[in-house]
Amino acid sequence: MNGLVGRPVERVEGHAKVTGTARYPADDPVPGALHGFLVTSTVARGEVTDIDTSAALGHPGVVAVYTHREMPRLTVPPFPYPKGFIPLQGTAIHHAGQPVAIVLAETLEQAQEAASLVQVRYRSEPPRAVIDDAGQQPYLPPPFRDRPNEFTRGDASRALAQAEVRVEAHYSSPTRHHNPIEPHATTAHWDGDRLTLHETTQGVNVTRGVVATAFGLPADRIRVLAPYLGGGFGAKGPVWPHTIVNAAAARLARRPVRLVLSRAQMFTLTGHRAEFRQHLKIGATREGRLTAIVETTTAQLTTTEESIFNESDSTSTLYTCPNVHIRQEGVRLDIATSSYMRSPETTAHFGLETALDELSWVLGVDPLELRRRNHTDIDQETGLRIASKHLLDCYTTAADAFGWSRRNPAPGATRDGDEYIGWGMATEAHTFSAIPATASVTIGLDGKAVLRIATQDIGTGTRTIICQIGADALGVPITDVHAVIGDSALPNASLSAASATIASISGPVDRAARTARDTVVGLAVADRRSPLFGVPVSDVETRHGHLIHTRDQARRDTYRAVVSRAGKPVETTGSVPNVPGHSYGVVFAEVRVHARLGAVRVTRVVTAHDMGRVMNRRTARGQVLGGVTWGIGHALMEHTVYDRATARVVNPNLSTYLVPVCADVPSVETLFVDRPDPSSTALGARGFGETPITGVPAAIGNAVYHATGRRVRDLPITQDKLL
Amino acid sequence: MRPFGYVSAPDVATAVRVVSTEPNAKFLGGGTNLVDLMREGVERPDTLVDVTGLPLTAIEELPGGGVRIGALVRNARLAADPLIRSRYPVLSRALLSGASAQLRNVATVGGNLVQRTRCPYFYDHASACNKREPGAGCDAIGGVNRNHAVLGASEHCIATHPSDMAVALAALDAVVELESVRGTRRVPLLDLHRLPGETPHVETVLTADELITAVELPHLPVAAASHYRKVRDRASYAFALVSVAAALHVREGVVTDVRLALGGVAAKPWRAHQAERVLLGAEATEEVFLRAADAELAAATGLPDNTFKIELARRTIVATLQELLTDGSAA
Repeated sequence: MNGLVGRPVERVEGHAKVTGTARYPADDPVPGALHGFLVTSTVARGEVTDIDTSAALGHPGVVAVYTHREMPRLTVPPFPYPKGFIPLQGTAIHHAGQPVAIVLAETLEQAQEAASLVQVRYRSEPPRAVIDDAGQQPYLPPPFRDRPNEFTRGDASRALAQAEVRVEAHYSSPTRHHNPIEPHATTAHWDGDRLTLHETTQGVNVTRGVVATAFGLPADRIRVLAPYLGGGFGAKGPVWPHTIVNAAAARLARRPVRLVLSRAQMFTLTGHRAEFRQHLKIGATREGRLTAIVETTTAQLTTTEESIFNESDSTSTLYTCPNVHIRQEGVRLDIATSSYMRSPETTAHFGLETALDELSWVLGVDPLELRRRNHTDIDQETGLRIASKHLLDCYTTAADAFGWSRRNPAPGATRDGDEYIGWGMATEAHTFSAIPATASVTIGLDGKAVLRIATQDIGTGTRTIICQIGADALGVPITDVHAVIGDSALPNASLSAASATIASISGPVDRAARTARDTVVGLAVADRRSPLFGVPVSDVETRHGHLIHTRDQARRDTYRAVVSRAGKPVETTGSVPNVPGHSYGVVFAEVRVHARLGAVRVTRVVTAHDMGRVMNRRTARGQVLGGVTWGIGHALMEHTVYDRATARVVNPNLSTYLVPVCADVPSVETLFVDRPDPSSTALGARGFGETPITGVPAAIGNAVYHATGRRVRDLPITQDKLL
Repeated sequence: MRPFGYVSAPDVATAVRVVSTEPNAKFLGGGTNLVDLMREGVERPDTLVDVTGLPLTAIEELPGGGVRIGALVRNARLAADPLIRSRYPVLSRALLSGASAQLRNVATVGGNLVQRTRCPYFYDHASACNKREPGAGCDAIGGVNRNHAVLGASEHCIATHPSDMAVALAALDAVVELESVRGTRRVPLLDLHRLPGETPHVETVLTADELITAVELPHLPVAAASHYRKVRDRASYAFALVSVAAALHVREGVVTDVRLALGGVAAKPWRAHQAERVLLGAEATEEVFLRAADAELAAATGLPDNTFKIELARRTIVATLQELLTDGSAA
């Protein structure tokens, strides 16, 4: 072992990224590619009655304009195509921004200008843009991916009625969009009935499967390439209509076509976090032990899709509570379909962690102590002991670093000049998945290893961690391993989503590399030309690219020498299943609230997390910084605004859809418990990426309450709510 | 983007001549707003006359203590200028609170003054907007109007002017110099922008072929104690919900000189004359500051999304004056 796993190894692709040599999907040159641009509906509900493409077709450089009249009929794929329909298949309009035509031209500017010349007539009906305007009772949608939307444990209503203390509150949050820096891009290149897609996707194999279904092709006719990704956050997890429409257009035009969505189009074509309401009723003993949780949530759905993505896992599993009743309801609106947005459970987690804070004030119990009293090491759904959970250590570590014990509990009692100061905290928790995967390792005649797996690096550090694992398992320097990912032709892996990547691929990479190592050792000891000839394989260790006799260190060989003598590369594969679970943590936040103007600043954040083994401290810290930053956005500013008359997004750009800037983000102290989880085959690591945001909005809201005595239950906490 | 012609003007005379003779021609400065609007198809000029090569980049002290600022001085440079920082700190602070560092490096003084509103309905072709299409109506009035005007709006338009710099210039009694084929004229900054009335598409008193060549600041001792406070939904790179430019001089507890202007509340930088009248000669107390704010905002009217801005403006005026009072600079 070189011991690279766990160290803050810098990103192996860092230099390529900062020097601009890393090629993202829209950077790949495709000779002869046309530029596509979508014409999108300005109405939200109704139908197309006429499309006049003549002016667009007459614009210089335009090669084709396709509408529902020209498009081939395609099959609507199931999940992960969370749209329910494919545009340009008929005249029905389900949301503003729905594509109604695609323009193909020699340059992007020509395509854009021509798209503005397509004349579309509509018959429109008044749309419903927000839950307040739904004009319908929320309903319980059918199970989504076999998970029911209603869940009960014990007798919650009875326990609530009998509870010594009750807290009841309504929480809400608006629609929010992922807004990765890199826009969604797809380039479709047909060769007969074989299709290559250069795609901004969090799942090359998932994209391949969805597109194969849409076109009725065997999956092996399609190859999807996503070597780098400029951020996904769930937006590039599902497959969206533009990919299918663009591929169909390329097939009709018999030319490769590149389509890059505009920022505004990303607000209607790539999913979002649904507008959300949460009604929570909590019962507890006077000592603060939870006895009942009754929760009803309402999420925005659409007329074409009724999947609920903002699950209430935390409500049912985070604390010990014998009586729980959760209903996840929805209402159908005339806006784009929602989908997963990192981290899906954050939405409901906000209400839970705020309600606990409210309970702590009712009881006069410190919020941290209240959480300790309700801590559990038992899986609330199965009743089994959780193999590894160090949340209590997180509480202690972060509370000490933050100085929580010095907190003056009275709200509105701490002031510095024009500002009130408040401290708040919240537990963090999120599920992670584990999806079967296979990795391969090839050791070439030069002794260098290539690790192959059809996963993706969505910016989280996956590529680097693959190299760390491979180098450790082989006993070679990290410079002697190279990871090839982001290609559906590679050994199978799934989405980089649901915090599943490290949990899913670490075991397979490690197994494939260890098998390769054992194979090379076997070659050496069987080779008369090797100094290790005849040595038992159990007496050979590998370090720094050398194979070394453990008891006679002078007897050594190298990967390069062994494999080159063998005359052909060593190739192995590995596949190891893993189990899903949760990662945990806690976040403490300090805010300052301007007494006169109500402006909230987050001035200090301390986190501690338990994610099993920390594979790479540098990239893990990056995940926490990103989560805290986004959590600040959630709490204080992020908000997609709809015009209620037209159901069009009013702020579809980064100048009016506000995300935190550097000046909004304080220094963040990131602490890790870092104890391997014995139940994990991923070298003791658990999935983690989505955990470190879940508690941030509530921690900030709780801090605002502590600062001012004002409880804001409707996010974001803009200063008009505190005037 | 629609194809367009491009001319790089070698001198002011050529620039104004080309724009006055070519149909549908526009001056191009830093382009931070115009090019955006062209990408969105809101502005569709046939010809752009690039003026960034013109020799209008000086910041000069005038006889008598004023300052003349060339129209092509970039925002970042103006903000950093020692003369501006010492004599007119409100202007430096207003500039630094605007846009981002990258935009300030490119944006010019002249362009900043004539930038267009960021009303989302102005940008959205499918919406009704009297600025974009006179007579079409205004979807902002019944729509989303959190960032819209509470002073000087009309039933035809409730857009705000987005500039921070212009708010400081409004407080400082700046004068704008304009050049056209007909010669030179000087317009007080306060008269440059128009309230919407029935013609919201006519945003300034400039004719289409007039080029802003300079801005002059008068000698103004009170400006040495001046401040700009911008209230917005994030710490940087956001337009103002409300902003206040203030200069204050107090002697023996009495306001002896004051300049006050508001941003984010109207279609033009809003000089708070009513408030100044209350303040001048009155005691410098929070009670008086509140009375002054109330006097200025008596005529303010809000819509469901933006009524809070009236109270926010009131509080921001008081906070800004209090800050000048308590940090000692107003004495």
